[in-house]
Amino acid sequence: MPFMNVFRGTEQRILGVSLFCFLLNSPAGVPALAGSFAFVTNQSSSDLSVLDLEGRREIRRIPVAGQPAGIAVSSPLNAFYTVSPDSKTVRRFSLATCKVLAETRLPGGPVGVAVAPRSGLVFVSDWYNARIFVLDAENLATTGELETGGAPAGLIVAGDGSWLASADRDSNQVSIFDLPAMTLRARVTVGERPFGIAVDPQGRIHAANVGSNSVTIIDPRSATVTATVPVGDRPYGVAFAGGHAFTTDQYADTVSVYRLSDFEREGTLEVGEAPEGIDATPNGKLIVSTNWFSNTVSLIDPETVEVVGEIETGDGPRAVGRFIHELPGGNVPCQETQRIE
Amino acid sequence: MRILLRVLTILVLSWLALPAALAHGPTRQKVTLTQEVAAPPAEVWALIGNFQDMSWHPAVFASTGEGGNAIDATRVLTLGQDGGPTISEVLYKFSDEKMSYSYRITDVDVAVLPVTNYSSHVTVKPGKNGGSLVEWRGAFYRGYPNNDPPDNLNDEAAIAAVTAVYKAGLDALHERFPGN
Repeated sequence: MPFMNVFRGTEQRILGVSLFCFLLNSPAGVPALAGSFAFVTNQSSSDLSVLDLEGRREIRRIPVAGQPAGIAVSSPLNAFYTVSPDSKTVRRFSLATCKVLAETRLPGGPVGVAVAPRSGLVFVSDWYNARIFVLDAENLATTGELETGGAPAGLIVAGDGSWLASADRDSNQVSIFDLPAMTLRARVTVGERPFGIAVDPQGRIHAANVGSNSVTIIDPRSATVTATVPVGDRPYGVAFAGGHAFTTDQYADTVSVYRLSDFEREGTLEVGEAPEGIDATPNGKLIVSTNWFSNTVSLIDPETVEVVGEIETGDGPRAVGRFIHELPGGNVPCQETQRIE
Repeated sequence: MRILLRVLTILVLSWLALPAALAHGPTRQKVTLTQEVAAPPAEVWALIGNFQDMSWHPAVFASTGEGGNAIDATRVLTLGQDGGPTISEVLYKFSDEKMSYSYRITDVDVAVLPVTNYSSHVTVKPGKNGGSLVEWRGAFYRGYPNNDPPDNLNDEAAIAAVTAVYKAGLDALHERFPGN
């Protein structure tokens, strides 16, 4: 972080020198990214920041009415989905153009969203009615409902599309459903008030327990708890890279780090204030936390386990869900929208 | 003071029976207010940088607590008058060096302050002409934890109430240090 401060301070005055420093630093510190972009829902300003993680700048600001929180980026569907709890609206945007392609209003309290590309389905949690809406991934028509515990929040679909899991906050449990059958596989008791949920590279579920400051790790096949790891105050989200798990500790303004090999806690990193969303670039070179109070994202190098930068966002970045997308070299999303200069 | 009393009255009148659950609304709110004060930061911090003494705020009648300025110290603020409504709070960050402390509300009736899951930060920074800039920030959910809130417990009501509390406190600091 101190390095970045120096870097940013010199940027204005001696651009050439800082660029040189950046190039020098790049191979050792932050390896170049093959076009990774973050799609960050800003709940307070009702819009979405598109961040170029390699260029470390916001390149687009897309209006998203109704105070969006939930986000799911899907490369196979060439789309990202947003959920605005205030207007109860789910939208599908094109990744290529960032234009709205479909929109629907749901009853209840839609919050979290996850995508099952192979099934052509989108799942949206209903915070107030203990259910998950099943939507057609293209036109967002409701095709069914799944019963969960109280206040389902975070949702995650397995990498191979074989199951869907929800963090049922008020029931202290995770519900797992078989896909594409959409039948209940199991309900697994976790810590207090799980909110964020993610699947690690080994296929295990990690549920962040806001109320008990821990993460519960679940084997989805046996539906049993593998481990419980203590983390920082009020963990909201979990992401993985470089053999580590990273949690956003909302009240501590930190990201906690634990090892995936033995679930040993490794330490904490200072990030912006009230971090909530967290995700990894698909190439595993960067972890990004969205800092709700600071209106920034913090960039973490998973190899050195250090904060290496910060990018400003709109007001109140939540980014509940998977929010990073990778494009082949040189390509930029949102081609038909106004670029931020 | 008059405005504050009116706000408090409205809040008391807006009482609604709610389950004392940990549930909350879908959208977290934030409020940041700042105030220039015509006194050096050290002087302002000496007045407001004690978690156990909030007498600088005009709405606070009394404060009792334990633990001083250590992490997990607690205080109970009595508002308005003897026997008035109370707010229970816990300290979770404190730095004399940064002239900043952070606390959470552990117990308040939404009739008193229509918020849930409330956390707050008070910071004194260097201001103009050797003075101070006092910053007071809060993060919270609305008072009504369920869907489709009534007007008196919605997001706007929560923001208005917290803003009124901060403004009353910062105005009092401004008046207390009139400068030259």
